[in-house]
Amino acid sequence: MVVSGREVARPAVVSVRTAERGAWALRGFSLDRAFTAIAVLPTFVVMLCIFGIPLLFSLYLSFTGWALDQALMGGEFVGLANYEDLMNDPVFIGSLGITFGYTAASVAAQMMLGLAIALLLNIDLPYMRVLRTALVVPMMITPIVGALCWKLLLEPSLGFFNYLIGQKIVWLGMPATALLSVWVVSVWQSTPYVALILLAGLRSLPSEPLEAAAIDGANRRQSFWHVTLPLLRPYLLVALLLRVIFEFRAFDNIYALTGGGPANATMVLSMFTYLTSFVRFDFSLGAAASWIMLLISMITCLFFIATIRRRDAN
Amino acid sequence: MSTLNRRRLLMAAAAGGVMMPILAQNKPDKLVYLGDNQGGWKRTLTEEVGPAFEKETGIKVEFTLLPPDAWLARLKAEMGAGSSGVDITQWSVGMGGWVSPHMLDHNEVLARITARDPGFDWNDFLAGSKLAASYDGKLSGIPYRITTGILVFQKALLAKAGFAVAPGTFAQFHKAALAVNAPPDRYAFGLMGKQGPGLYPSLASWLYSAGGRLLDFKTGEIFINDDKAVTALQFMADLVVKDKLTPPEVTTWEFDDITAGGQRDRYVMAQTFAPYMTLMNDPVLSKTGGNWFADTVPGYTDKSQSRTWVDGHFLAVSKYAKNADWSIEFIRMACSKEWQLRSMERGNAPPRGSVLNDPAMAEKLGWPPTAARAIETGVPTPAHPAWSTLELALRTGVSETLQGQKTAKQALDAVAADWQRTLRRAGIGRA
Amino acid sequence: MAMVVGSRRRRRLQAGLVYTALIALAVIFLFPVLWVLGLSLKTRLQVFADPPLFIWWPTLENYIDVLGRSDFLLAFVNTLVVAGSAVTLSLCVGVPAAYAFARFPFTGRSFLFFALLVMRMLPPIAVLVPMYVLFSKLGLATTRLSVVLAYSTFALPLVVWLMRGFFEDLPKELEESAWIDGAGRYRAFVHIVLPLAKPGMVAAGILCLQLAWNDFLFAAVLTNNATQTLPVKMMSFSAGDSGVDWGGLTASGMLVILPVIIFSFAAQRYLVAGLSSGAVKG
Repeated sequence: MVVSGREVARPAVVSVRTAERGAWALRGFSLDRAFTAIAVLPTFVVMLCIFGIPLLFSLYLSFTGWALDQALMGGEFVGLANYEDLMNDPVFIGSLGITFGYTAASVAAQMMLGLAIALLLNIDLPYMRVLRTALVVPMMITPIVGALCWKLLLEPSLGFFNYLIGQKIVWLGMPATALLSVWVVSVWQSTPYVALILLAGLRSLPSEPLEAAAIDGANRRQSFWHVTLPLLRPYLLVALLLRVIFEFRAFDNIYALTGGGPANATMVLSMFTYLTSFVRFDFSLGAAASWIMLLISMITCLFFIATIRRRDAN
Repeated sequence: MSTLNRRRLLMAAAAGGVMMPILAQNKPDKLVYLGDNQGGWKRTLTEEVGPAFEKETGIKVEFTLLPPDAWLARLKAEMGAGSSGVDITQWSVGMGGWVSPHMLDHNEVLARITARDPGFDWNDFLAGSKLAASYDGKLSGIPYRITTGILVFQKALLAKAGFAVAPGTFAQFHKAALAVNAPPDRYAFGLMGKQGPGLYPSLASWLYSAGGRLLDFKTGEIFINDDKAVTALQFMADLVVKDKLTPPEVTTWEFDDITAGGQRDRYVMAQTFAPYMTLMNDPVLSKTGGNWFADTVPGYTDKSQSRTWVDGHFLAVSKYAKNADWSIEFIRMACSKEWQLRSMERGNAPPRGSVLNDPAMAEKLGWPPTAARAIETGVPTPAHPAWSTLELALRTGVSETLQGQKTAKQALDAVAADWQRTLRRAGIGRA
Repeated sequence: MAMVVGSRRRRRLQAGLVYTALIALAVIFLFPVLWVLGLSLKTRLQVFADPPLFIWWPTLENYIDVLGRSDFLLAFVNTLVVAGSAVTLSLCVGVPAAYAFARFPFTGRSFLFFALLVMRMLPPIAVLVPMYVLFSKLGLATTRLSVVLAYSTFALPLVVWLMRGFFEDLPKELEESAWIDGAGRYRAFVHIVLPLAKPGMVAAGILCLQLAWNDFLFAAVLTNNATQTLPVKMMSFSAGDSGVDWGGLTASGMLVILPVIIFSFAAQRYLVAGLSSGAVKG
C-alpha cells in the first residue's frame, strides 16, 4: 500500500538482509511477543475498562424497558421492543432521513471545496504558507464557539449577514434556512480538514507520472482527471471516510445553533439521541438509538475498508 | 443593598424572635449546592445568602451551577448512585416525579426549621407553591422561586391605540394586537417560539385559559387534541402566521431572547415569566424601561377564565446528604421572609404571599401582586417523569403550527398519537 | 519549455487568479472569527448599534471582566491540565501499541485493530451516562482524572490509527540492524524509531489536544465548579439574566480558542506531514 514512488528503492536493500533475518528470526520471535504484549496491553485495558464496559452496559440498556422513576438503570428485559418503538417513531425515521441527507450534502461540499483548496495551495507561489495558515483556522476552533460565531453572524437584526444582503431573514427560525445554515457552518468548519489531507496527498505524489503525461501531450485537465486523481485515491477515500463518520454523528453545531428545530428540521440522529437520553431521560431508548447509529457507522466503515482493500488488490 | 432594605432586613431579623441554636452535628468545611445556571435569580443566593451563611456558621457554600441539561444529568446520576456529594439540591417542578423519592420528607424538615425559627411562617407560602413542591402527597422541597405567566404590556402604547385597560379576553386581545401592530419596527406580540423548552410556557396560558388540559396521568386519558386545546393553539398560531402580529424572529426566541426583545422595544405585549418584567423595566438595560405593566392573562370569553401555568424551583435535602442539619439551616436562611424579600429585588419571584403583596415591592416592580393572583389558581407544570417525553412531542407540534406547516388540529392530533405511544411505553393508564 | 514571453504573462495572470481565489476563501473562513473578535472588543451599546459599527474604539473591558472572574482562570488551568494529561496519556499508551501493530504480526492483530476502529466510530453520547456511573462508583466522579480518562478513550484509537500508518512507512531496516547488534526491542524503539516518528506524534498530539480542549458534553457532566473546563464555563455566559451577556460570551469564546490556534499554528508543518503518512495507511 505504499505510494509507488517508494517501491522502486526497496528491492536492493531487502535481498541483503534476508539471510541474516532467518538466523535470528526464532530468537527474535519471543522478544517480539514480549514487547508486543507490553506495548499493546495498556491500550486495550484502558479501552475495555473505560469504554468497553459502558458500551456493553449501553447495549444491555437498549434491551430493557423504560423505568420512569429509576434514575439510571433500565426496567425489565423487553427484547427488541425499543428498536421497534424507534422504527415506528416518525421523528426517528425523519431523523434518519435528515442525517443521511445532511451527511451527504456536507461531505460532498467539503470534499469538492477541500480538493479545490488543496489544488490551489499546492501551487508553488510565495506566501502560500500564510494562506494555508489562514485557511486552516476554522478547523481549530472549538465547535461550540464556531457555531456561536455563526449564530451571531446570522442574527436577524444584529448580524452582519443580514446587513450585507439588506434583508431581515430569520435564518435559524425557518426549517429550510435553518438546515441550510447548519450545512454552511459544517462546511466552513470541516473543509480545512479535507484540504489538509488532500494537500498532504498532493505533496507526496511522485512527479514522474505527471511529467510523462505532459510529454505525451495531455493538457492540464486530462492529466488531472487521469493521472492526479487516481494517484490521489487513497487520500480521497480516507478523507471521505473520516468526514462521513464525523458528519454522521455531528452534534455540537446543531446543539448550539438550533437544538434540533424548527419543527424538527435539523433533528439529526445525535440530537435525537441526546434529547432522548438527557431530556426525556429514556436511557433505554437512547441506548437503542445509539446502537442503531453505531451499526450504521460500522457498516459504512466496513464498506469503505473493503473498497480500499479491493482496489489495492487489483 | 440600599440603606432602606438593609434596615428592613435587620429589623425583620430582630423581630423574628429568638432562634434556637443549631444542633451540633459535625461541622463540614463546605456544603455543595447543585443547581442550574440560567437566569440571575440565584444571585441573592450566591452573592449574599452564601456569604452570610458562611459568616454565621463558618461553612462555605459551594455553588455548582450547570447548564440545564447537564444539571439534570448530574442530578440523575448523583441520586441514582445514592451519592452524598450534593448537600443542597435545587430541583424544579418538572423533575418532581423522579426527584421526590430521593428527598427527605420535607414536612420533617419543616418541623426542624420551625422549631429553630418560629418566625418562618409556612402559612405565608402560597398554596400553589406548596402544591408544586409536593409529589404524590409528599412534600419534597421548600419553594424558593415560583414563576407564573402574566401578561406584560406597554401601557402607554395600548392607551394610544384606545385601550385603557389590558385586554381581558381572547377577542379583546386580538383587537388590541391588530391596533398596536406597527411592523417592521415594533410588533404587537412577542412569544418564545423556538423549538425548545420555551414553547410549553408560551402555549400554556392560552391552553388553560381556554379550558384545555394536557392529560390525566392516572388514567392515561389524553386531552391535548380536544376542541379547547385546538382553539387555544390555533389562536396563538394565527397571531404568528395569519395576522403576522409577532416579530419574525420569534421562532428563534427562548427565555433570554423574549426579555431582550422587550428591552429592545420589539413588541407591545407578551405573556411571559412574571419576574422578567423587572428586567424589561430596568432603565439601564432597557430602551423601554418603565413602560411595562402587568395583568393576568386574558380568559377565553371572560376575564374570570384566566388561568396560567405555575413552575418553580425548590431547595431540598436528599436522603443521602451527610450534613443535613447544616443544609437545612441554609435553606431556612434562604427561604426566610427577609431574604426572600431581598431576593425579589434582585430578580427572584418568591413564593411568599407577604413578600409578593408587600406594598413597597408592588410599587417598585409592578408585577408581584399580579403574580400572586395568578399563582393562587395556577396549574403546576406536570411533575410526572414521563412529562419530559410528552413535552418534546408537544414542542414539535407547536413548532410545526407556528411554522404554518400544519393546522393546530393536525399538529395536536399527531402529538396525541405520539403521547399514546409514550404512555404505552411508560405503562401508564390502560395499556 | 516552449514559449517564454507570453507564458510569463499568462503565469502572472494565473498566479493572480489563484491568489484572488485563495484570499477570498481565506476572508470567508476567517470572517466569522474576526466578527466575533470585533464584538468582544465592543461595549454593550456598540454591540447593538444598527447598522453595525465597523470602525470604533476597541475596548478591553470585556476581557478584563472575564479574566477577572477567578473561576474563568480556574477553568483555564483545568483545561490546560486536562488536555495536557489526555494528550500525554494517549501518546504514552497509544504510540507503543501502534508500533506493535505495525511491526509484529501477532494473533488477532487485524481483529483488534478493527475493534479499535469500531470504538472510534461510536457516538460518544452513548457511553456518557454509563461512564458517569462507573466513575461515581470509583469515587472519581467530579475529578479531572475522570475527564482525562474519558478523553483518552476517544483519543487512543485516533493515535493508534495515525501512528500505525506512520510506522508502517518507516523502513524496517533501521530497527532490524539495531536488533541484530544486540539492542533490545525496547531500546531500539525508544532510541531509533521514536525520534523518526516525531512528526507523526506531533500531528497525533495536536488532534488529541483539539479533541480534549474542545469537548463540551463530557466535561459538563463529569466536572463540577472546581474542575470545570473552559467550554463548560463558556456556556454559562450564554445564560445571563440581562439578555445575553454578549461581551462576556464573545470574549470568553475568543480566549477559549486562542491557545489551540496558537499551538496548532506553531506545529502546523508537523500536522501536514503527519497526516500525509499516517492517515492514508490502513
